[in-house]
Amino acid sequence: MLGCCLFAAGCASTEGPYPSKEIKLIVQAAPGGTSDTVSRVMASLAESSVGAPIVCENKPGASGALAFSYVARRPADGYTIGHAPVEIAIVRSLGYADIGPSDVSLICLVSKTAPALVVGSDSPWQTFEEFVSAATANPGQIVMANSGIGSIWHFNILLMEQGTGARFTHLPYGGSTPALVSVIGGHADAAVAGVGEVVSHVEAGKLRALAVFDANRSSVLSEVPTSHELGYPVGAPAWSGFFGPGGMPADRVAMLADAFETAFGTEEWAKLCRERGMEALYLDKDGFEEFALAQQEFFEREIPQLVRMEGP
Amino acid sequence: MIPEILAGLSAVLDWQVLAFLVAGVCMGAVFGSLPGLTATMGVAILTPLTFWVSAEQGLAMLLGIYCGAIPAGGIPAILINVPGTPASIATSWDGYALTRKGQAGLALGINALASAAGQLTSIVFLAFLAFPIASFALQFGPAEYFGLALLGISLMAGVSGKHVLKGMLAGMLGLALALVGLDPMTAYPRYTFGMSEFLDGISFVPVMIGLFGLGEVLVQISERHTASGVQAATIGRILPKAAEYKSMIGSTFGGATVGTMVGAIPAAGGDIGSVIAWEQARRAAPDKAEFGKGSLRGLAASCSGCNAAIGGAMTTMLTLGIPGDAVSAVLIGALLIHGIQPGPLLFANNQSFVFSIVFLLIFASVLIMAIGILCAKPLAKILKVPAPWLWGGIVLFGTVGAYALNHAVVDLWAMYAAGVAGFLFRKARIPLGPLVLGLILGPMMESNLRRALILSRGDWTSMLTRPILLVFLTATLLALLWPLIRRAFGSSASNHRPSLDA
Repeated sequence: MLGCCLFAAGCASTEGPYPSKEIKLIVQAAPGGTSDTVSRVMASLAESSVGAPIVCENKPGASGALAFSYVARRPADGYTIGHAPVEIAIVRSLGYADIGPSDVSLICLVSKTAPALVVGSDSPWQTFEEFVSAATANPGQIVMANSGIGSIWHFNILLMEQGTGARFTHLPYGGSTPALVSVIGGHADAAVAGVGEVVSHVEAGKLRALAVFDANRSSVLSEVPTSHELGYPVGAPAWSGFFGPGGMPADRVAMLADAFETAFGTEEWAKLCRERGMEALYLDKDGFEEFALAQQEFFEREIPQLVRMEGP
Repeated sequence: MIPEILAGLSAVLDWQVLAFLVAGVCMGAVFGSLPGLTATMGVAILTPLTFWVSAEQGLAMLLGIYCGAIPAGGIPAILINVPGTPASIATSWDGYALTRKGQAGLALGINALASAAGQLTSIVFLAFLAFPIASFALQFGPAEYFGLALLGISLMAGVSGKHVLKGMLAGMLGLALALVGLDPMTAYPRYTFGMSEFLDGISFVPVMIGLFGLGEVLVQISERHTASGVQAATIGRILPKAAEYKSMIGSTFGGATVGTMVGAIPAAGGDIGSVIAWEQARRAAPDKAEFGKGSLRGLAASCSGCNAAIGGAMTTMLTLGIPGDAVSAVLIGALLIHGIQPGPLLFANNQSFVFSIVFLLIFASVLIMAIGILCAKPLAKILKVPAPWLWGGIVLFGTVGAYALNHAVVDLWAMYAAGVAGFLFRKARIPLGPLVLGLILGPMMESNLRRALILSRGDWTSMLTRPILLVFLTATLLALLWPLIRRAFGSSASNHRPSLDA
């Protein structure tokens, strides 16, 4: 028995320097979406500096709660890591899984996407102020499509109602695309979705962007005013980072963070961010921890209030 | 226009582009023919590989995967009654029946021919009617989606064969299963028993693999001492005879039209398109009773319908920049990486690229036909494999496929449970088609009815002022009441024949 233990320990110590085998990157969404693209591109760009293949595996479901819990339960040896979107700071407040940024080893943040408010191109509202005053004067008259109750863009609509006094009729869809399609087709009046998701329709003249919910102007919708300029400092961005199970060795976290930072500096990554309307933003382990914990606190404070306001 | 067409053609008449297309079609065939690996997954996984090649080469490969996977999904549907992708569910109804009759070769041949014909027809629609089709698709609001789903669900009776009541029972069970998961409007968990694995509902693909694949294996094992499977080992000829071609023309092009329209509507793809195409062909056919028992017309309509949905989805994607189905959503992402933004501006500014896509789709449809016909004989040899090996293979591939989809163990349990259910249902002669229809269309029907009621502020009657919805409702009513109408008007004609199913 003792011999077995010693033998096993001996094997572990002679395993060789990390990484000696492929690293699995668990993506919380289905193939093809932004999370998946970010993960696959980052994985392929970081592989050479890691010195081992990084293989993406999709584990969608329950706003990402299944993937977050799965990664958190894996051994903290750096061979299983996960994509960390904003939902990792939300799922506990929604009651989907008892997990949050404080329970895992955050590695780094690589991008941020601000929400944008859009209306149909033939709608009567030309500015954010006109839109808000119409929604305040006629509560519930304006139909606001959202990408699903409990999704990050839906929270932005609720934050907007809270911050401006506007009241909408909410029309939930199962994602940003069908919500935007219903505005383009004239079935709903307005929607909130990521800047990258609306920009092509705005450029094609099918949608009009009234505001970007952020402090700074978006690089792809630079002529659209921000909510902060308009005097309503509301808005919660989506973001993309990476994490591992809680208690990962600091040197392995640092090594992966360095590899992702190298990938972050490539022209390919800058190009992907431009095309998807994402803001390339790198935060190292400490910066990401501070940011994600603040996000977790924000959602734990806001979600119960917002849901109460929404009513049963 | 002519210079753009020529520029688009010359851009793809490059041996490298064509090599990528061939590679894509072959890879797509692998993804499509293995249950659980879908066209969406194939395109998504290979998208990063296209970063390092030109836009035309990358697009050729991805379109090849898309076009190759859909008809390949029909191959296991025909040979072993397991649809390779959800789009080939309707293909299994007549295709597997033909295999049981010893005509597997012919079924595979028709799959290749009708798929290519359906895709070519939808490309003609794309080339000449892209903008009218796109504006039709945009008129689909919640009320219209509800109408489409309701029409689809009314087909339950049609796919039930003789056992209408049992079919309805299975259909209602499918609708009930579709209720599991987060409520689409309030995000409140329903029937999840506190398990977060069920929050997104019961995964459809594992259930499909279980019901059709595992269920069929269990039935064959239980009947191994009877002689029912003997004929299946013959393959027969591949190509139809002249008279057979003639009989299938109407249903093939009818199916292609239905498939193109359904494919163009966002969020409705080949799975719904081929089922509706099959039912429309059945209504129009002189030999309705043959449908589901090996009708060539039914097979042709379903194959052509699911491939025509590709052209429809591409129409919406290219003209509006909106994905027509899950695969085209991934394709838009891939095009963005190459700096190409699908949408009205692409049609205005980069017409030659649009024509490149049209030509790639045409070449791909020729390829799927050629590969489909050439590979039909070797593929059908799978039927010569001794039954126990085949059963083992189906269980193995089904298990791998069900797990590969979401990497979720719960999907495996769903597949095995569906397998046992599929076995019991077959033994009780309860048709499986309606259950699958309920499971696919239930969420679409429920969420869109509730969205329509939000928009009409709870008023049911104002929905009836929408013309497209009225068309769907009328078609649904006709489908349900047709037997009664026929009895009322044709009672004297059928009096001489005693009613068997009363």
